[in-house]
Amino acid sequence: MADNSKPATRKAAIVGGNRIPFARSNTAYAQASNQDMLTATLDGLVARFGLQGEQVGEVVAGAVLKHARDFNLTRESVLGSTLAATTPAYDVQQACGTGLEAAVLVANKIALGQIESGIAGGVDTTSDAPLAVGDDLRRVLISLNNAKTVGDRLKALARIRPGQLVPEIPRNAEPRTGLAMGDHAAITAKEWEIGREEQDELAVRSHHAMAAAYERGFFDDLVTPYLGLARDNNLRPDSSAEKLATLKPVFGRGEGATMTAGNSTPLTDGASAVLLASDEWAAAKGLPVLAHLVDAQTAAVDYVHGGEGLLMAPAYAMPVMLARNGLTLQDFDFYEIHEAFASTVLSTMKAWEDPEFCKEKLGLDAPLGSIDRSKLNVNGSSLAAGHPFAATGGRIVASLAKMLHEAGPGKRGLISICAAGGQGVVAILES
Amino acid sequence: MATVLDGPPNLAALYARAALTARGRGGALPDTHLARHGVTVDRDHLAAYARVCRLPLDDVLPATYPHMLTFPLQMALMTDRAFPLGLVGLVHVRNRIEVLRPVRAEEALDLEVWAERFATHRSGATVDLCATATVGGAEVWRSRSTYLSRGATAPDGAPEADVEVPVGALERVAATWRVPDDAGRRYAKVSGDVNPIHLSGLTAKALGFKRAIAHGMWVKARVLGALAGRLPEALEFDVQFKKPLFLPSTVALSTAEVAGGWDVAVRNAGSGTEHVVGTIRTLEEKH
Repeated sequence: MADNSKPATRKAAIVGGNRIPFARSNTAYAQASNQDMLTATLDGLVARFGLQGEQVGEVVAGAVLKHARDFNLTRESVLGSTLAATTPAYDVQQACGTGLEAAVLVANKIALGQIESGIAGGVDTTSDAPLAVGDDLRRVLISLNNAKTVGDRLKALARIRPGQLVPEIPRNAEPRTGLAMGDHAAITAKEWEIGREEQDELAVRSHHAMAAAYERGFFDDLVTPYLGLARDNNLRPDSSAEKLATLKPVFGRGEGATMTAGNSTPLTDGASAVLLASDEWAAAKGLPVLAHLVDAQTAAVDYVHGGEGLLMAPAYAMPVMLARNGLTLQDFDFYEIHEAFASTVLSTMKAWEDPEFCKEKLGLDAPLGSIDRSKLNVNGSSLAAGHPFAATGGRIVASLAKMLHEAGPGKRGLISICAAGGQGVVAILES
Repeated sequence: MATVLDGPPNLAALYARAALTARGRGGALPDTHLARHGVTVDRDHLAAYARVCRLPLDDVLPATYPHMLTFPLQMALMTDRAFPLGLVGLVHVRNRIEVLRPVRAEEALDLEVWAERFATHRSGATVDLCATATVGGAEVWRSRSTYLSRGATAPDGAPEADVEVPVGALERVAATWRVPDDAGRRYAKVSGDVNPIHLSGLTAKALGFKRAIAHGMWVKARVLGALAGRLPEALEFDVQFKKPLFLPSTVALSTAEVAGGWDVAVRNAGSGTEHVVGTIRTLEEKH
């Protein structure tokens, strides 16, 4: 039997974070590229922690929607930032799990002593999206490029048809099922009998909690204004269940459809970054340690042929991570469950409460149980802030670390993020 | 006392006026000051400028950006009949910009431009077009553009022209840029500087150039972009425009870190012809 226990390593500290306010697609950041936003976010983090001209161990970030020219997005952003040009960087991509996975990767290298400090981040734009030429036209253009004679070139050009000139716009859809993520989530919502009202209620809570957090200055040292925007422009402090009840469903079909633009996240632009380090590095720099990243786990489900919901993977990752750490689902002071859709949060929690699901699917003797809702997404989450795919993880890690720090030592926080492709990332932070 | 304009002058109209009023100019520099108050940055324009100059897009204005706002005023000044030198044939030979502190895109700027230092040059006369930007009465940015008018004569007793920007050895190439045929048109679209010498081979030939030439201020801005993240907050960026950069070209940027900043050069990648040399230095408090 494999030894499933963790090797003796140090825990990576979360020093702090920075993000730009998130902006709904084609609004404040319509002109900004991923590199612009990531560079500005890194520079904000550098300014906050006095790292101008310094070399950190590694910068790890990514984008879900990425231009081919941005193959080295993170390194290019580092080179344009005020960090030392000798700071190594690499890109990762795990759909909406990118930001959290980047933090885990940085934390692991710190834990192993391979680096002393690192920055994890993510960025996405749905405004400055990478259009691609269709596959047919792409093939024609490649043959055109390879053509040696005028005749060959003309032959290649003759293969172009008007219909091929329409570019392919990236869609928030699963390549293997052709379904939009929201339509997948709607199937899961129906399976778990998640009602419209509870979804709207969760969305309203998210808006109110985040607005209140802004009001009391919680985000003052987490957010740097960008391109004239000082707060997430998806945030609706005056959101109410009555208003949300008037919206028509946009995902799912017929009578039972419950998912609206109000209880689903909109397409969003934004970027975030988190500074991680060894305790020693932070102490030497006189920087705070807000929390430590204790552990993380990924999981994936077969949503194509296996019958599991696209966004249910975190439900599977959670018991593995809890068991490894000897913890129960109730042993936490804060829960951050990414609100891709209100129904996703509710389905996931319902699954953990369900004896049959926990026995049949998770192989547990008893259900993981319920979560104290007053500890869930207490400063709002993606329904309020918006969800620039790869930037969400960094937003959550930095915010949760600060919440834990404010609550005092020995507090625990749990993160759960679902991702396209039927994947999920969960993590534990501790102050 | 400055004449305050309500909006930016139309550059295309000014070029037309310049062509029509080229004859019969002379005399001393007018002491006209032109100004615009409370000028705010159009963020879409800033984004277009950043894109064409390959500058990062953020809330701090690139050091060269306020020139976008002051150049039309300087053009209005230069095309006025009282200005002694004809605009056609005027060559931008030096530009020095000082950023006294980072200027943010949301700040309302008061702009003022004037001409000074009519000077004697070995092949004619030079004049400096100056500009300043203030926020709430405090100066935040200033620039001095030196233009050469070949064959022109400065008034008696005029000082010697000052157009040289000395730089150290710049042997290592940091980057190679392919500057396409349409670089002038693209920058003209954003800057409004539709001087025919930048727009096409034909229009450039009409004015005595063998091909269209790149805008000097575009090259300067691209150098700034290449050094993004490595520049002091308050800086002085002084460049000398040497030989025209004919379009299309492949050019090489050379940079060398020196005490308090950078020396830079942009040269033809093949022949080594020097297009732009310059210095970037931390701006020390001078008060």
